Amino acid sequence: MEDGNSIIYGLEHQTRSLSPQYAESEAIRFLIGTQSLKPNSNQVHVVELEEDTGALHTKVFKHDIGEIWHLRCSPHDAANLVTTHNTYDPNTLQCTMGVSIFKLPTLQVIPKDLDELSSLQGRNAEDLELLVTIKPEKAEEEIRCAEWHPTDAGRLGVVYESSVRVHDVSSGAAVCSMKSDGRTRLKLTAGKWNPHQGHTQFAVLQDMHIKCFDTRTDCSKPSWSIDNAHRQLVRDLDFNPNRQFHVASAGDDAALNIWDYRNGKEPIFNRTDHSHWVWTVRYNSYHEQLLLTGSSDGRGLLYAAASICRDPDDDSEKTGKILEDGVLQSYEQHEDSVYCSEWSTVEPWTFASLSYDARLVISRVPRPFKYKLLL
Amino acid sequence: MEEAKAVKENPLDIDSSSFSPDVYLDCLLKCATLKQVMDKEAEIVTQSQFLQSEMQTLVYENYNKFISATETVRKMRSDFKIMQEEMNKLSENINKITTFSSQISENLQGSGNNVRRLCGTRQLLDKLQFLFLLPSQLNKAIAEGRYSDAVQDYSHAQRVLQKYGNQPSFQSIQTECSEIIFELKKTLRERLISPNTSATELAESVALLRQLQESDSSLQDIFLSCAESRLDKHLQMLSSIAEHTDILDWVEKCNNTLLADLAIIISCYNEMFEQEAIIPEFADKIMIQIFHLFEEVIKRPENNGTEMLIRGLDKFFRKLQAMTEISSSDMMSSKGTEVVIQCINHKAMVQYQSIQTQFKDSLMKVRQSLASKGSETIDLKDILNSLQVYLMQKIQASLLDLMAFLQNNLSFGLKPWCAKAVADACSKVINETMANLSDLVKKMACLQTSNNNIPFELLLILAKLCLDMQETGVSTLQNHLLKLLEEAAPGLTVDNKDTSSVMVHLSTAAQTALDSEVVFIGQTAAQMLRVSVLARDWLRAPEPRGPRAVCRRVVETLASADGAASQLFPTSIKPSSDSSRRTIWSRAPSSFSPLNRIFSERIEVFSPAGADRAALSNGALKVALKALVECVRLRTFGRHGLQQLQVDVHFLQQRLSCMGNDERLLNALLEDALASAQLRCVDPQLMEPSIVDIICERG
Repeated sequence: MEDGNSIIYGLEHQTRSLSPQYAESEAIRFLIGTQSLKPNSNQVHVVELEEDTGALHTKVFKHDIGEIWHLRCSPHDAANLVTTHNTYDPNTLQCTMGVSIFKLPTLQVIPKDLDELSSLQGRNAEDLELLVTIKPEKAEEEIRCAEWHPTDAGRLGVVYESSVRVHDVSSGAAVCSMKSDGRTRLKLTAGKWNPHQGHTQFAVLQDMHIKCFDTRTDCSKPSWSIDNAHRQLVRDLDFNPNRQFHVASAGDDAALNIWDYRNGKEPIFNRTDHSHWVWTVRYNSYHEQLLLTGSSDGRGLLYAAASICRDPDDDSEKTGKILEDGVLQSYEQHEDSVYCSEWSTVEPWTFASLSYDARLVISRVPRPFKYKLLL
Repeated sequence: MEEAKAVKENPLDIDSSSFSPDVYLDCLLKCATLKQVMDKEAEIVTQSQFLQSEMQTLVYENYNKFISATETVRKMRSDFKIMQEEMNKLSENINKITTFSSQISENLQGSGNNVRRLCGTRQLLDKLQFLFLLPSQLNKAIAEGRYSDAVQDYSHAQRVLQKYGNQPSFQSIQTECSEIIFELKKTLRERLISPNTSATELAESVALLRQLQESDSSLQDIFLSCAESRLDKHLQMLSSIAEHTDILDWVEKCNNTLLADLAIIISCYNEMFEQEAIIPEFADKIMIQIFHLFEEVIKRPENNGTEMLIRGLDKFFRKLQAMTEISSSDMMSSKGTEVVIQCINHKAMVQYQSIQTQFKDSLMKVRQSLASKGSETIDLKDILNSLQVYLMQKIQASLLDLMAFLQNNLSFGLKPWCAKAVADACSKVINETMANLSDLVKKMACLQTSNNNIPFELLLILAKLCLDMQETGVSTLQNHLLKLLEEAAPGLTVDNKDTSSVMVHLSTAAQTALDSEVVFIGQTAAQMLRVSVLARDWLRAPEPRGPRAVCRRVVETLASADGAASQLFPTSIKPSSDSSRRTIWSRAPSSFSPLNRIFSERIEVFSPAGADRAALSNGALKVALKALVECVRLRTFGRHGLQQLQVDVHFLQQRLSCMGNDERLLNALLEDALASAQLRCVDPQLMEPSIVDIICERG
């Protein structure tokens, strides 16, 4: 793996959801949710990378409540996670979506002794502890994703197809609801909390636009927006962990754009390297120059966007320590569309990407780039 | 040879030198009969008698001649004696003449001296009279304005006055003259400073002052400052009329006033001061300003008429050349050629800019006609041809226009540098027009992707236009240019211009246009599919009765683009394959097999489009169908929903297989869509292929 070889982990069912364990501080863990319409066949896989040996250890939990469309680990408690799921009821011939918060019975993934190992090898899926399930107001309303509040462990932002609601975690009740202007009937695609600005802003993707609402008001007017961020649908966005006005977006025009949302007319960084829609974009939380994208052309790309991450008094350019903008590496181990890619929150150089054909690829930033950033 | 010698030395031959009478006699006596000997004797006797008489005759004749010669010699001796006497008489006479003539000249010497003295006195008197009359003469000349006569007279007299100035009678004259000349100097200086004097008067005044021994440096300064102020006035006048006169008038005025004056000033200066250090600098300063003005005049839009421009330029250049001879400044001639070259370049720029605007206009018209065409089909080839011909003609016309600079009757027309400049300008017109075309196309292609309403046919046409230009157009124009140059300036060697950058421009522009067309068509179809897939409730869909309407629209969209492409781009012959009728699920759609993908090639959806019909269609198909796959994966299907999609996919497969040439690609994508739908289906049961066929036929 150190030589740039990736570790591949395969699952049985299609997958669309991946999350690092945000609250964990030592182990490199990723959680994967499966997406299968067969009843009682969905699982949550916890994958841990043993850093020293490069070995992968996994633990499987049942997720019988339905197929998982979106999964997010809590940033407050390593054991907690929220899934956005969908169930088909053959009696009513209807699909119902919901958001559930689960608790992992144990964080331990690497077996302590041989007994545990043998029991694990049987791959007996364990049960998750269900804490609460949030149902939409209307049964057929679709839910896009659920996002933990960055600081308030009791709040959860849920993106529905046409509105955003903030729910109370313990009761599941909505405390606040935001709706875009009634005129536009464009559906929402996804959303995310803004980690800056006092954690009160929630950004949503609506067709080609990015809109950010303030959760303290019920106002239908966004506090800021980037109209026509992409020429087609916007698929994902991510906030720069350090620069409070920078946001990266990816969309169906195969482009990766980085915006200063104070001036949302022109992106400050624009690359079109994928050959199909880009479904995911992630900032490295330690090194804001590094970005990760995943696309339905079956590739994950590692980008450098160093030119826009420079401070006026920064002299790294003179010393030649700056990375050149653009694609650093293309990861082609996937055979199908890559819908998720995530950095590890523990180790700054490790990341995982997940494709629809249930293949998880864990890779590292190639050493030359790493040294260039560090030295 | 031997024989001949023998014959020669035959002692029997009587005429030979080796004749031996004894041998002959012996031989005769031995060989001949008596009769023969008798005859021979008689013959010899007659022969010897004949010879005897002949000898006598000869002796007499010679004797006569000797006697007559003796007589002649005697006569000559007596004649010479007479002549000697005559000669003696002549020499005596000559001696006498010499003595006479010396006597006469002695007598005449006295009177000759007298005459000479008289003449000298007379001259002196004349001079004196001139001196005495000098003041009044001077006054008269000054009053009549003949300053030069006055100065000439004065300078004549001055030497004398200086010599005899101490004599009282001359002193008064001298003071009087000095006063007059002082006055004259004052007048001349005033005239120098006054603005109304012409350049000739100015030069004259300075020359006179110089003769009157004014100090050089102050004169020089005055002269230069006066000249400068005069020239400045001309410059101001010229710049003020530059706004509203045409180039011919302007050049005329410029030549007649400013340049003429400048020439006079320069020549006077050189004549008078014989120093060349300052004047070229001064002239250069003025010339730079003139050139500035001239450039402005050239650039004024109403001076765009080539014929007029060239005539004006010709006049100007001729004058400049004339000036070059006067002033020894190199700058003048180099600036002159520079002005001509600049003029040519400016003309070229005007040409390609006007070509660009005109082409843009015609493009707008095409765009409008394409946008308003409605449903009827338009012959794209026609439009392409007309655009192409239009562009080529415009360029060729402007090349021809530029050739006017090489006319033989122009002062610069035959110069090699001019021909080179024209050749450069022509290539520049070609290159710039092509670069402009490329930029225009690229811009349009970019606009297109940002949802601007540019008809996709126009993009196809422009792409084809760029490609044609790249393939043949540019080289045709280059050849045309070479021919024109050959006619206008024979013998000019034009180094082959590097056209590779233009070619790259054109081909990238064509590529951008094609890519953008493909993406546009693909996205249009993809958008239809996306909206229709996302909006439909597939879970509770009714049993399929036919392909959904959106499929027809998608097929129509792709087919219209394919049709348009087929008009312009060559069709590579499609290999007829037996699999064309194959339904795509004949290979059992494996429910979910990553293995299948390993063996299939990765499909690059947004990839550069090739310039032929099939590749263009392939590109659009990829974009549309990949979107279908991705959208299907976002939905959940019921059994009928899946079957509906099966019908749709079958329909698309049937209708789209005639487009493009990569059936594997089409099938792989459609298979993927159907397999994805199966995965997303709660009750994945497909319909019988035969029923699907029937439904598709019916629909």
